[in-house]
Amino acid sequence: MTAPASPLTAGDVREALRDVIDPELGYNIVDLGLVYDIGIEDGLIDVRMTMTTPGCPAQDYIVTGVERRLADVAGVTGVFVTVVWSPAWSPRMMSPSAKAHFRIREDGE
Amino acid sequence: MNASSDRLSRWTPVMFACALINLCLGLLLAVSGLAWPAASAGAPATLAMVHLLAIGWLTLMMFGALFQFAPVITGRRLRSQALALVTLIGVQAGLALMVGGFGALGRAAWADRLLPAGGTVVTAALLVGSATLLVPLIARRPVPLSARFVMVGLGFLLLTVVLGVTLALALTIPATVPLLAPLLAGGLSSHMLAGLGGWFTLTAIGVSYELLPMFMLAPHERGVVGIAILWSGGAGFLAAYAAGLASAVAAAGWIAAVGQAGELAILFAVALYLGDVVRLYRGRRRRQIELHNRAAIGAFVALGLAVLLAAGAAAAGRLAELAPSLLVLLLLGWLSGLGLTQLYKIVAFLAWLSRYGGRLGRGPVPRVQDLVNERGAAVLFVLYFAAVALAAGAAAFGLADAVRAALALALVAVLLLAREYARAWRATYAQRAAAAGPRSLVPSPLVRQGDR
Repeated sequence: MTAPASPLTAGDVREALRDVIDPELGYNIVDLGLVYDIGIEDGLIDVRMTMTTPGCPAQDYIVTGVERRLADVAGVTGVFVTVVWSPAWSPRMMSPSAKAHFRIREDGE
Repeated sequence: MNASSDRLSRWTPVMFACALINLCLGLLLAVSGLAWPAASAGAPATLAMVHLLAIGWLTLMMFGALFQFAPVITGRRLRSQALALVTLIGVQAGLALMVGGFGALGRAAWADRLLPAGGTVVTAALLVGSATLLVPLIARRPVPLSARFVMVGLGFLLLTVVLGVTLALALTIPATVPLLAPLLAGGLSSHMLAGLGGWFTLTAIGVSYELLPMFMLAPHERGVVGIAILWSGGAGFLAAYAAGLASAVAAAGWIAAVGQAGELAILFAVALYLGDVVRLYRGRRRRQIELHNRAAIGAFVALGLAVLLAAGAAAAGRLAELAPSLLVLLLLGWLSGLGLTQLYKIVAFLAWLSRYGGRLGRGPVPRVQDLVNERGAAVLFVLYFAAVALAAGAAAFGLADAVRAALALALVAVLLLAREYARAWRATYAQRAAAAGPRSLVPSPLVRQGDR
C-alpha cells in the first residue's frame, strides 16, 4: 500500500468495489445496490452491505472479494465488512444503469 | 476447509452426475425394449426402470439440490458434509441391489433377498439424508414457505420408502405373503402417489418457490395462496394415500369418498400452483430471463397437461388405460423437465463458486452466464420436451414403437444436455472466451458500467 495523494473518500471506495461482481446476476455490487453504507476513519473502511437473498451461497466469496479489493486501495489500513438483512435488498435499489441492463422499470417494479 | 467452501455442498456435483447416469440407464431400458413400453407395466425390467428414474435420478438429484439449497432457504449451514456422502453411497448401492433384485425376481431364493435388502439400504440412506436436511430446516424461525414444502415432502418420502420396502417383502418373502398380500393390490397406487405427488411434486414446488423468484427477481412472498397449496396438496396426497391403503383391506364407501376428496384437493392444489407460477413469471422484475427459467415453462405445461388428462380420464373412466401417458407427463415432463432445466443453472453456479469464487476481488472473473452457451442448449430443451410430448401422445394411443422412438430422442437430448453440464462444470466456454481475448472477462465495460 502506498500513501494516498489525497484523503480517501467513499467515492473512491465505491469505485474500487465496482470491480466486485455478484456472480449470479453478473453485475457489480455497487450498481446492484448491495453496498448500503461506507464509513472511513484513518484508513479503516467499514462496509455495510447485503446480498440479493439470505443464505446466498456466494456470500462468503463476495465478502472476501470486497476485503481483497479494498486492501489494494492506496491508503487503506483495514477493512471491516458487515452483512445486514435490513432493509432487505430489492431491485428498486439498483442504479439506473443496472435497471436498464436487466430491463427493469425505473421504479424497480 | 475455509469459510467460503463451507457454503458449497461438496457432494452435490457427484450426486448430479450419478443421477444423470441413472436417468440415462432408465431411458435406455425403455428404448432397448427390455422394459415398458415393449414389456408390461409389472415386468421386472419395467420396475427396475421406474426405480432407476424415481430413486436413482429424481431422488438423488433432489437431495443433491437440497443439500446445496437448504442453507439458502434457511440461512443455516448443514452440520455435516460427510452425511451427504453417506446418503449418496447408500442410495446408489441400495438401488444397485434393488435393480439386481428386480432382475432376479422368482429365479432363486437368495436372489429374492436382494430387493428388500436394497430397499432397506436405500431407506436407511434417505433417513440419514432427511435428518441432515431437517436439522437446519426445523431450526429456522419463522419457517419459510419453501422449507415447509420440503419438510412435508420429506415426510412423504418416508411414507413412500416404508411402503416400498413392505411391498418388496410381500413380493419376495413367501412367509410374509399371507399378511401383506392385500397390500400388493392396493398399496402400489399409494406408493406411487406418495412418491410422485407428496415427495417429488411438493418438494419441487417448494424448491421452485425459492429458485424462480431468486433468479427472476420476482417477489418471494406467496401469501395465502402458497399456504393453501401446501395444506390442500399435503392433505390431499395424505388422504389419497391412506384411502389407497385402506381399500386394500376393506371396501367401504367412506374410504372411496376420502380418496376422491383427496384427489380433488390435489387437483385444486396443482391448479392453484400453476396459477401462482403464471403470477410469478408475470410479476418478475427481470424482463429478460435466462434459459433455465424459459425452458422450465415446458415442465409447468407438462404438469398442467397431466392434471387435465388425469381429470378427463377419471371422468371418462379411462384412468387405467391412460395411466402410462400420465406417468410420462409427470415423471419425464414435469419432474425430470424441471430438474434438467434447473440443473442447467445450478451446475454453472456451483462451477463458478468452486473455480472462480476464490478469485473474486483479485482480478477479472467471468460471470456465471459466461460458463454456459444458452443458444445451443435451448435447442436441446426443445428437443427434450418435444420428445416427451410425442412419447406421452404415443402412449395414450398404445403405440409402443412410437413411444420407444420418442424416448430415444429424449435420451439423445439428455446425453447432449449432460455434455453441456460437463462443459459448464469445466468452464469450457469461459476458457474459450478468455483465450479469445481479455475483453471477454469482467470487469468488462458492461459489468463496470455504472453511474459515475
